[in-house]
Amino acid sequence: MLDLLFDASFMASVPRFVTPILLAALGGALCERAGVFNIALEGFILTGAFAAVLGSYFSGSPWLGAIAAMAAGIAIGLVFAEFHLRRGGDAIVVSIAINILAAGLTTYLLRAIFDVMGAFSDPAIVGFQPVRIPLIADIPVLGRVLSGQSPLVYVALLAVPAVHIFLARHRLGLRMRAAGENAAALEAGGVSPRRVRLWALVGCGTFCGLAGAQLSIANVNLFVENMSAGRGWIAIVAVLLTRGRPLPLFLIAAIFGTVDSFSFRVQGLGLAQQFTDMMPYLATLMVLVALSWWRKRQTA
Amino acid sequence: MRAVLSGITVRFGDLVAVNNVSLTIEPGEIHAVVGENGAGKTTLMNALFGLVQPEAGKILLDGNERHWASPQEAIAAGLGMVHQHFMLQDSMTVLENIVLTAEPVGRLGFVDFARARRLLTARAKAHGITLPLDRRVDSLSVGEKQVVEILKLLYRDSRLLILDEPTSVLTPREKERLFGVLKSFRDEGRAVVLITHKLDEVMESADRVSVMRGGHLVSSGPLSATSREEIARQIVGGGLPAPRQRTARVAGDTVLSVERLEVAGRGRTVGPLSFSVRAGEIVGIAGVSGNGQAELIAALTGLRRPLSGSISLLGRPIEALDVEARRRAGMSYIPEDRQRVGLALAASISENANAGRDDRTAFTRGAFLDRKAMARFARMLIERYRIRAAGPSVPAATLSGGNKQKLVVGRELERGTPLIIAENPTWGVDIGAIDFIHGELLRLRGEGHALLLVSSELDEILALSDRILVMFDGRFAGEVSGAEADPERIGSMMTSGAAELLPEVA
Repeated sequence: MLDLLFDASFMASVPRFVTPILLAALGGALCERAGVFNIALEGFILTGAFAAVLGSYFSGSPWLGAIAAMAAGIAIGLVFAEFHLRRGGDAIVVSIAINILAAGLTTYLLRAIFDVMGAFSDPAIVGFQPVRIPLIADIPVLGRVLSGQSPLVYVALLAVPAVHIFLARHRLGLRMRAAGENAAALEAGGVSPRRVRLWALVGCGTFCGLAGAQLSIANVNLFVENMSAGRGWIAIVAVLLTRGRPLPLFLIAAIFGTVDSFSFRVQGLGLAQQFTDMMPYLATLMVLVALSWWRKRQTA
Repeated sequence: MRAVLSGITVRFGDLVAVNNVSLTIEPGEIHAVVGENGAGKTTLMNALFGLVQPEAGKILLDGNERHWASPQEAIAAGLGMVHQHFMLQDSMTVLENIVLTAEPVGRLGFVDFARARRLLTARAKAHGITLPLDRRVDSLSVGEKQVVEILKLLYRDSRLLILDEPTSVLTPREKERLFGVLKSFRDEGRAVVLITHKLDEVMESADRVSVMRGGHLVSSGPLSATSREEIARQIVGGGLPAPRQRTARVAGDTVLSVERLEVAGRGRTVGPLSFSVRAGEIVGIAGVSGNGQAELIAALTGLRRPLSGSISLLGRPIEALDVEARRRAGMSYIPEDRQRVGLALAASISENANAGRDDRTAFTRGAFLDRKAMARFARMLIERYRIRAAGPSVPAATLSGGNKQKLVVGRELERGTPLIIAENPTWGVDIGAIDFIHGELLRLRGEGHALLLVSSELDEILALSDRILVMFDGRFAGEVSGAEADPERIGSMMTSGAAELLPEVA
């Protein structure tokens, strides 16, 4: 039974599930550290997924699809910035509006552009091809996990240390941390926290756009209404649990992604879909409980 | 750098905060700007620093007229300011805090921390400052945080430094070090502006002193041309209040009795503490703040559950009661933090004055509040406690620091409870308000109330207390009677062993 669950093809599928959560969470981490309470990751991802399909369909290149996804993510980030940073709207209200807007807008555009409802699949949508990494591909089991994934998986893996170093050592990263912790002190030094947060939203849009592209033109080659399916929310939980620190974030995202992948797997083995759909959220609750227990022990 | 302020006027709505003030700040001088709270000292310096725009007047730096669109321009021109509240990022290291907003960047915008470290180490050394640059700021003492603020200015090579009440949170030893550093800055030809209302500091360190009152400049000149008494007179604008005299009094029955009380503190246990306070006496708890006073007060008032021990008020155990029940049992509390604990800043003066009284029939009509009665009561407080306020219905946030404190003091003291707990009741308030609050505390002592006074100002403890308990590292290091209190001895109890623990910060 266990062999059936944890075979090589399951292992190979894990990165596909981890990557969208990880990318979105890295974007969310920038917002978290810069003091923007962005809970619109779901909307950001969904917009990115749609734009990726759009870009790939019309250009025939998954890379242009990914660029379109990033551009769409940044655009949504700028909408967030306009209403939250410039017009002073509450971050939660703006987030909810963006989540609803993204769901409605993608559904509408799906109909307006492709004249379909629900899902759009077409041979003209060119997805990313797996990248075979020499040498690593020949390692048993691990080779199938690390090699043969979409380019975006590697982008996500490289982004973890990159974001870590950016926050630790880059001027803008330092200022983002300051904007999130004591914005008044940053302002007293003559740097506008709003401008710093704008960059965090731009970065968040970029990462979430890529998360969407991984969903729509790497994992599959189609767009389905509401295909982000809660991954943005799980990414937010990961961000809040780790307070936006990239390295622990990677661990949490890996756990959630693995459970996500696992739930898909056991569904194939005949377990009720209603139950398997619940698993990522059960895992979230379990991590929350475990973490609070652990923190309590640390302080006691 | 020589800064000349000429005819500066700053207006906030109807209030003229600074009225036609002209002042020259010379390089190589420590220039003290003194005055009561709300005299316009900080506002004037904020105008120089670009934080507020003056309605009229000119700012000249080395003879050139300057206008600031933002503090950033003032910083670029060589000005630097240490604000009254620390402007630090607690979770960042000392070095990160110092370079923030003035980062030396290398390739791709990455911060060149090594360069910053070299520059900073050299400059700090020249002034005898050592500080671990890689420690996180939240692990530093208050005095060390102050040093970080000063290093920020040194790193930016500010030629004119403005320090707003820099010593209000420092221990005597940290103060000494701070002034050592400031004098070293002065000797290098930098200009130092010291905003303060502590005359000791002015007499000790200033070269020139300017006195402000009610937005006007009363006087400005070399320290040698004036005297402590004259400055004090100019600050209050008339005769000085006479020093308070405590009349001898025999204490009555025990009101508060604490037995082997233990409270969880940050990283250690406070206690066991045992003491009592009797009717008609003021018991002072002296000590450098952070030695367990806050935990003790929180346990007494019911804000924190003690680990063990007993507390009884008028012979009745109260350790199991909640805050409200304890207050009803006969306790009032003047908290140290008037901004967050003492008052609800967004609520009106009237609502604040009646907080904790809304169960009284005098202020209710059936299930509803009697707004008229509440306003009457607030007006009475405003009058009796001389609170300068536009009226009972304005938000408490509009009051100045001293007047906020008077509102809290008035609300608590008017309850007339047998026990009054006062925690740094005159923190950050001006001379006039201090005298008034001290007078009220002594009046209640005379009327037979029991008072527990916690203060980090030793002068305050010495002036008011019948008995003094000295707290150090979560325990009482000793007890002294008020009559035979010797500041030297108490001072050494306050720091028994502490001096060795402190790292060299300045």
